[in-house]
Amino acid sequence: MNQKRTNPIIVVVLTLFSLACLIPFWLVFMISVADENWVTAHGYSFWPGKFSLVAYQYLIEDAEKILRAYGVSALVTVIGVVVSLFVTSAMAYALSRKEFPLRGALSFYILITMLFSGGLLPWYLVYTRFLHVQDTLLALIIPGLIGGFNVIIMRTFFTNSIPPSLIDSSQIDGAGEFRTYFSIILPLSLPVMATIGLFTTVSYWNDWFTSLVFIQNEKLFSLQYLLTKTLMNASFLQTIANKAYSSTAQVTTPLESIRMAMAMIAIGPLVLVFPFLQKYFVRGLTVGAVKG
Amino acid sequence: MKWLKKSSAVLASLMLASVVAAGCGGNNASDSPAGSAQPDGAASSELKPYEVMMVFPDAPQKDNQLVQDAMNDYLKKTYPELNMTVKLNPIDWGAWSDKTNLMMASGDKMDLLFAADWLGFQQQVTKGGLLPLDDLLAKYGPDIEAVEKDYHEPAKRGGKLYGIHTHQELGGAQGVYLNKELVDKYNFDLTALKSGKVEDLEPMLKTIKENEPGITPLVAPSFPLEAYYSSTNLDSITSIAAINTVGTAPDDYTVINSFTTPRYMELAKLTNKWYKAGYINKDALTPGLDAWKKLQAGKGFAFVSDMDILADMEIGKADISPNGSIKAGREMLQIPLNIDRLQTGKMTATMYAISKSSEDPERAMMLLNLFYKDKDLLTLFNFGIEGKHYVLKDGQIALPEGQTTDSVGYYHDIMWQLGNQMLNYTRVGEDPDKYKNYEKFNEKISSNRSRIFGFVFDPEPVKNELISIDNANKTFVDGLKSGQLDPEEVVPKMLEKQKAAGADKVIAEAQKQLDAWLK
Repeated sequence: MNQKRTNPIIVVVLTLFSLACLIPFWLVFMISVADENWVTAHGYSFWPGKFSLVAYQYLIEDAEKILRAYGVSALVTVIGVVVSLFVTSAMAYALSRKEFPLRGALSFYILITMLFSGGLLPWYLVYTRFLHVQDTLLALIIPGLIGGFNVIIMRTFFTNSIPPSLIDSSQIDGAGEFRTYFSIILPLSLPVMATIGLFTTVSYWNDWFTSLVFIQNEKLFSLQYLLTKTLMNASFLQTIANKAYSSTAQVTTPLESIRMAMAMIAIGPLVLVFPFLQKYFVRGLTVGAVKG
Repeated sequence: MKWLKKSSAVLASLMLASVVAAGCGGNNASDSPAGSAQPDGAASSELKPYEVMMVFPDAPQKDNQLVQDAMNDYLKKTYPELNMTVKLNPIDWGAWSDKTNLMMASGDKMDLLFAADWLGFQQQVTKGGLLPLDDLLAKYGPDIEAVEKDYHEPAKRGGKLYGIHTHQELGGAQGVYLNKELVDKYNFDLTALKSGKVEDLEPMLKTIKENEPGITPLVAPSFPLEAYYSSTNLDSITSIAAINTVGTAPDDYTVINSFTTPRYMELAKLTNKWYKAGYINKDALTPGLDAWKKLQAGKGFAFVSDMDILADMEIGKADISPNGSIKAGREMLQIPLNIDRLQTGKMTATMYAISKSSEDPERAMMLLNLFYKDKDLLTLFNFGIEGKHYVLKDGQIALPEGQTTDSVGYYHDIMWQLGNQMLNYTRVGEDPDKYKNYEKFNEKISSNRSRIFGFVFDPEPVKNELISIDNANKTFVDGLKSGQLDPEEVVPKMLEKQKAAGADKVIAEAQKQLDAWLK
């Protein structure tokens, strides 16, 4: 540890950076508790002249839909992250072992998936025609299970931080492959698990597109899709209202403060998760950079 | 060592399974759409049961299933010979293009499909996703023909019909909404607008600006330039290509760039002047800004936009706007400054089409036909079940006691999407004569045809140019229509950019196609 005082420039830069992160957050919060008419008349403000909790009351009344979406998101995220960590690490671990015969071929395969995607249509076809998971929670979980990039980060971690002799010695002591994997490798890999875990948590939690593509049943909408949908519908209706047709378009845009209140609600869990994983974060991310 | 290999094989297969799941392949487009159905002579009464899937944009309704069941009961009772049921498949507005494209490309079963030029009708036809309807219409669409016979031309592509226009108003009117309270307060002389010129609004805006601090004289984002320019002055062909209808002979078919007319410059300068004078709100371009909300909050005076359709509307005649007053929550006057001609584009703005993946297009057309003659069926679809989702009050639709639009379970505002609108009920608060007004209004419009009514531009040869022109416009158009940019300086720059993007080629192509059409 360096005992010298921190360079003031760094302090200033980091302070500014933190502010840049916090200020939009604050603005969103303030709009969510601002009086709707005041916002319409005066625009967004960091300290609105009139407060009102109508938005949150409205959300409580509409709680069923939101809570359900919350539940869907939470369930998908938890299952997704656990399973994803398991399959990702299993794959990465196998790839990190020199004894594994298909190592080269599979690494190449993974690399390809990182560079090219199958495209939307084949993706859709595989899930609806081949796996038949549309309109189920599986459709939300499976697509995020394995990411080529995550596998490679993990593989690098395993190759660099776990001495092959450790594996050898455990096997000399009689541990089988699975025993080695579960009792030796996994406990040693907490940093990378936390890192990748956070990545997948964020991506599962924030994912709305999968819902858009596969989910028809309103009860299975994830929270983020519910939000996106509200926004997309509103802006869409606004554009068509201007399309110079039909006088029937009685557009009711969702109230500004309600949108913001929903945004506040949606960030919740991630804000809670982050501090607990942070301590692993520093170590986890440096792994790739340091060659053993 | 052999043992070790075995267990890594287990791990490997686990991995493989997950790799498949990660979805990087997928060559099973083999189970392609089932071919077109067997026409088993629908005239013979022995029709097999069939479920017609209707796909249309709407927010999902809680009681979708209930209404669907009610529709099916009704169909069974009233039209047993058709032996069909219906499946309602609403898709969220925002997800519409992604989802329908996927469904279409993957050959998912769809029968009736909402189509519109602004939702990619042209692309759907080009991709071959829709069925030609001429024969089906002739055979199974007598009630459609009864009202829409003359208006099929715009939905034809390559000589074949691909969409059935909803029977509704045939055009719109654009003009200015004014807050009545303020008009009365200052005793504005509204006859000044008789000429149909938006310029004549200026003295009123000035008065409001000077005397009513905090009130925006002219609320954007619906700007004069956007809401008013093109339909008053042009017969539009595609993006920039148009025919100037102001000061040109009725047989003049010269295609021009719509940004080059003197009237465009005039209006752009006017907008710029008003912006500088502070008549237009500065946040006009903020996404999501809703002009009606400003009026609701009592912060606006005038608003240029599409008008409610009234039976005896005339240019320059002030009326109380029924819908506008509801939306603004206060009395609003509307003064039309332009009434549309019968134009091709309007006819393709709301249509239903039959998807290629339909297993029984005949039955789809039969169902569509019912929506043009059967008021009860249409009402079920539009308003839900009587007593549960609506009650009738003096012949108008009202919400049941204690229900709101959010709580009612089935409430959609998409009456304009389907069938014969003239069969619809109006809602309480709407003009009870709304649809009668439409009919009168339609007479007015249909007698005033655009020079090029029925001409459809095929964008294929200049597809790339159209995209680059769009991009070239992006930088300027918003600034111009909100008045923030000086047109004398910016318009020439924009024209130059358009030229570089291939504007001349687009206009030449439009002229070529138009000439061929005229012959």
